[in-house]
Amino acid sequence: MISLQHVSKTYKNDVTALDDVSIEIEKGEFVFLVGPSGSGKSSSLRLLLREDDPTHGEVFVAGKNLAKLSAWSGVPKLRRNLGTVFQDFKLLQDKTVFENVSFALEVIGKPKHVIDHRVPEILEYVGLGDKLNNYPDELSGGEQQRVSIARACVNRPLVLLADEPTGNLDPNTSVDIMRLLDKVNKIGTTVVMATHDQAIVDAMRKRVIELDRGKVVRDQSRGVYS
Amino acid sequence: MRVEYYFRETASGIRRNGTIAFGAVMTAFIALFLFGLALLIRREIALVIESITGNVQVQVYVDDNASQETINDIGGVLSQLPAVETAEYENQQEACDRAKVIFAANPTIIENTTCATWPTSFRVTLADTSQYAQIPAALGCEPDATGQLTCTQPGVSTVRDWRDVLDRLSAITTAVSLGLFGLSVIMLVSAVVLVSNTLRMGMFARRKEISIMRLVGATNWRIRVPFLIEGGSEALLGAALAVVTLFLGKVFVVDQLAGKIVWLPLVRNSDVLSVMPWVIVAAIFVAAVAGTVGMRRYLDV
Repeated sequence: MISLQHVSKTYKNDVTALDDVSIEIEKGEFVFLVGPSGSGKSSSLRLLLREDDPTHGEVFVAGKNLAKLSAWSGVPKLRRNLGTVFQDFKLLQDKTVFENVSFALEVIGKPKHVIDHRVPEILEYVGLGDKLNNYPDELSGGEQQRVSIARACVNRPLVLLADEPTGNLDPNTSVDIMRLLDKVNKIGTTVVMATHDQAIVDAMRKRVIELDRGKVVRDQSRGVYS
Repeated sequence: MRVEYYFRETASGIRRNGTIAFGAVMTAFIALFLFGLALLIRREIALVIESITGNVQVQVYVDDNASQETINDIGGVLSQLPAVETAEYENQQEACDRAKVIFAANPTIIENTTCATWPTSFRVTLADTSQYAQIPAALGCEPDATGQLTCTQPGVSTVRDWRDVLDRLSAITTAVSLGLFGLSVIMLVSAVVLVSNTLRMGMFARRKEISIMRLVGATNWRIRVPFLIEGGSEALLGAALAVVTLFLGKVFVVDQLAGKIVWLPLVRNSDVLSVMPWVIVAAIFVAAVAGTVGMRRYLDV
């Protein structure tokens, strides 16, 4: 599903974020990317989203070589197959829960009957069936993250990329979010999650890829944080 | 793709930075108004030159006592020359009427002359102005001591070359219209800058939406079209205001002059109408350039 082959990324200011990284991730896997700040976790996610191009090496997602995608149609199509979740939720404050999720379908041109069917369905799935008309500032942090997961999943992506999804949440809420991500994984979605959260990684017992200064220093199935 | 989506986005964009959008519309309006005005002034000057000179480049004056046969002979000679495009005979009455028009501002000249004062002539336009020499040559004309041409062709009193006068008039036309166009180009550039600036402000205000749209896989077009519509409607609103103002100017300024200066030909409603497509083309140009400039850096995938 995801393949990084000898990928290096050097930014313009000569900072090397990734250094000859090769990773294979199969369909349906749940993978933690761990490591200290600046180890290259976020850079890897940016490469998968094709927000950046690698300096060397090749990145494949769902069989497609990202370097060969055209900006006008290939990249948008790639991103429709990737759901994204962030530490800061990235919700639109002037839109309701329903509108935040429907926005993701609306802007890729899905017809109204699809939106009206799928949005309540996915919000029910993440446990927010009764908050459709609330605004983000009326929700707790955990609920807001659920909205953002609903938005990421509403178009039924092949891969869910999560960048520190529990970074702003207390431990109990974090566990709830992890249960939700696990549930999303169970229905076949490949999940890649970059995190600092040791307790969660240790509790989940999933595959762990550890990065340090841009290199893969450990790749362990059913691993722990360190 | 749903049309209503684009217009909703556009409307909310214009609402969001209303004063800046207003400034862009006003600049587009002034720029397009000046542009249309330049076109109309050019048209007006062309009308004036046409009415005074009839674009006649050469006049072949005919003796007062020439017979109809002599006149026909001269016409025959002229019309056979390759350099001549048209050669029309103007009789006494027509020459007199034209003099009245030309000297309308100086009635004393008309009061102190009779129609017989004004010589009849062939009014000649040239197919190729550089071939002027064919005319005096064909009529057997030689300059005399004072530089006046005297001709051997019966009935021809003299030949006058008006090319330099016409050249000077058209030089004035060119200078005036170049000046006006220069001014309107400067204004159009400012309109482009202001419209593209409102687009940028709009994109900045919506940068969070835009980043989410990109993340969920919206195409570049999907993201850009609302902004393009926004810039386009600002420019076209400016164009509409400009056209309306030009018409009002025609009705309330130009038409007030109509009765007062008899000899002066004035632009008509149809002239204003014919300027309209150009104003709209200029507005589309403003919107297109503003869109390209305004969105270039901002929205790369």
